[in-house]
Amino acid sequence: MDFAANLFSTGTLSQILVGLSRTTILFIVSSGMSLILGVLRIPNVAHGSLYMIGAFAAWSVIQFLGGGLFAFLAAMIVAPLVVAAVGFVLERGFFSYLYEREHLMLLLLTFAFMLILGDLVKIVWGPEYRSVTVPAFFQGSAEIFGLPLPWYNLFLLLVGPCIAVFLWLVINRTDLGKLARAAAVDGEMVGAVGINVGWIFAFTFVLGSFLAGLGGALIAPMVNISLGMDHSLIMETFLIVIIGGLGNMWGALLGSLIFGLTQSLGILIWPQFGIAFPYLAVVAVLVVRPRGLLSSTW
Amino acid sequence: MRKGVLFLAVFLSAFCMVGSGDAGDTIKVGFVDTYTGPATTFTNDVLDGFKMATEKINAKGGVLGKKITYVTRDDKFKPDIGLTMAKELILKENVDLLVGTINSATALAVSDLCKKEKIPFIVTFSKSDKITGEKGHRYVFGMNENTEMAGRATARALSKKKFVKYWIAGDDYEYGHAIANGVFNHLKTLNPKVQLLGQSWWKVGETDFTPYITQILAAKPDFVIVATGGGGMVNFQKAAQSTGFNKKVPFYQHTAIELSTLSPQGQNAPEGVYGTANYLFYFPDTKENKAFVEEFRKAYNRYPKSGALYGYMTAQFIAKSFEKAGKVDREKFIDAMEGMTLPSPVGNMEMRACDHQVTLPMFFGVTKKSPKYDFLIAGDIVSVPGKDYMPSCAEIAKVRAK
Repeated sequence: MDFAANLFSTGTLSQILVGLSRTTILFIVSSGMSLILGVLRIPNVAHGSLYMIGAFAAWSVIQFLGGGLFAFLAAMIVAPLVVAAVGFVLERGFFSYLYEREHLMLLLLTFAFMLILGDLVKIVWGPEYRSVTVPAFFQGSAEIFGLPLPWYNLFLLLVGPCIAVFLWLVINRTDLGKLARAAAVDGEMVGAVGINVGWIFAFTFVLGSFLAGLGGALIAPMVNISLGMDHSLIMETFLIVIIGGLGNMWGALLGSLIFGLTQSLGILIWPQFGIAFPYLAVVAVLVVRPRGLLSSTW
Repeated sequence: MRKGVLFLAVFLSAFCMVGSGDAGDTIKVGFVDTYTGPATTFTNDVLDGFKMATEKINAKGGVLGKKITYVTRDDKFKPDIGLTMAKELILKENVDLLVGTINSATALAVSDLCKKEKIPFIVTFSKSDKITGEKGHRYVFGMNENTEMAGRATARALSKKKFVKYWIAGDDYEYGHAIANGVFNHLKTLNPKVQLLGQSWWKVGETDFTPYITQILAAKPDFVIVATGGGGMVNFQKAAQSTGFNKKVPFYQHTAIELSTLSPQGQNAPEGVYGTANYLFYFPDTKENKAFVEEFRKAYNRYPKSGALYGYMTAQFIAKSFEKAGKVDREKFIDAMEGMTLPSPVGNMEMRACDHQVTLPMFFGVTKKSPKYDFLIAGDIVSVPGKDYMPSCAEIAKVRAK
């Protein structure tokens, strides 16, 4: 097989765009995880479960409103809010009591919640697959050098940068964001000057959960919504956060880009082993920079 | 020393009691299957089909004056848990035979155990052809189609089409490769003109197929064999619909025309997808099938899927075999089951004596919209009878001798 010919074919641009749309979902979910990891120091194993709840909630909203573009847009707002509420309950009800303890306890608690939330989803939505369709507005695909690029993927390409800008504004331009950054670097000091660190943590966890829910809602039209979708994602998200630099938002973006692009270009170059490319990239990054590409907040 | 003898005596008598377990007034069936996670969409139908049949049998007085009862154990899709559960069912629950499971690795492990313990084991949903092929033995039975059978049946149907340049893509694990190679290798022998243009393999649970699809389209094959299973079926079909893949290149997925794949997508599933299935509730349009669908809908308020047929027929085969055996004896049960033929909603089914594999028809069709249902169904259905596509007894003997 001529790898070079594959790489420099007309399919390359289309493949890059497809890879970038995948990056969007990965970035939205992993930025939420990175945020929680950076500020609260919790490797939140239940993050994938929040993403799954987002997808199921989106299905419910669209079902309730009877489909169509309006129902879809409503679901993109309501589902993440539902997940944010779940996050609020988790943080205030459980995690907040354990910050003083060892991190291992927190890790175990998130693991327990991964199992519990999985069962809750099964109780609420049942074990069957759910499926929502891309609203008519986004159906069909654009042609790029004769190859199809679905309009929905193009829509995701627009959403990604918007989320990145939004996060940048929240973290760099709001007081809460600034405090969260400060708490990430030195939580004790922030507490010492009389600021309620607990509420900063709650805010961060809720924002992180919102992002997980948004990722789930956005991917809902592309996949079958089923139990177990949390597991397939959590691994990739962890790797992205690790190669990007623990807790670093831009690291999450960079990691997602590496993951999304190496995969889609890998498929182009050598389709039989396309799945290996992102993992090879992870290994390469870890060999060169074991602490991640950008500075870690840890 | 004396303690040791006492212990041995107690142990041996306990063991003997376990061995002579058919003294009760029931025939106890142990189910080891996956009852957590996405696979339940298939396994619940098996259990419901089984329940429906046994309730009817029991209402008529049961078998040999005994009622058929069952116990279930959840293997959580993990072979080690499945094996532990099977052991527990044999030793503690004292079941007369075992039924399960959707996980091929679990099925093979439990099959091995049943061979040692001399307990009949009826496999209801896992698709590995090793179960009744290479690793087959006296105590294991196959109640559904396997990858080899699906491959042969599909190759037969595809060899009549004009496609030449093929592409293979699928889930990068045993099932994916077994299906894809099963189809293509048999196709190659039936039609030597076909050529393999390339292959793509993705990880199990892949969610976004768009990058794979664009790549396959760029290579311009005539036909694509897509070997996904479970939830991947829906994911791939969604991506095919949004990229228009199905309109550009025809493709095939085993079970693409099954209700479990098509019903969650409603009217938005892609049209023109080739697929195979063992059971369709609307085909064949016979009295027997209609009666089965009616009965199932009355009991569970939904259409039966393939699993319902497997569970239903498992119960029928168990009842009839014990009846023929004349008593609850495992060895006599196996002798009775060998070569038994029973009517089913899709025609007569035979439990082949040579490999303990049931003969089922395979339906090959293309997805299309229907005014009658709010989901897509299969059209242009070709029914391939079991005897036309199953490996012959001589072939089975050959792989088992290896």
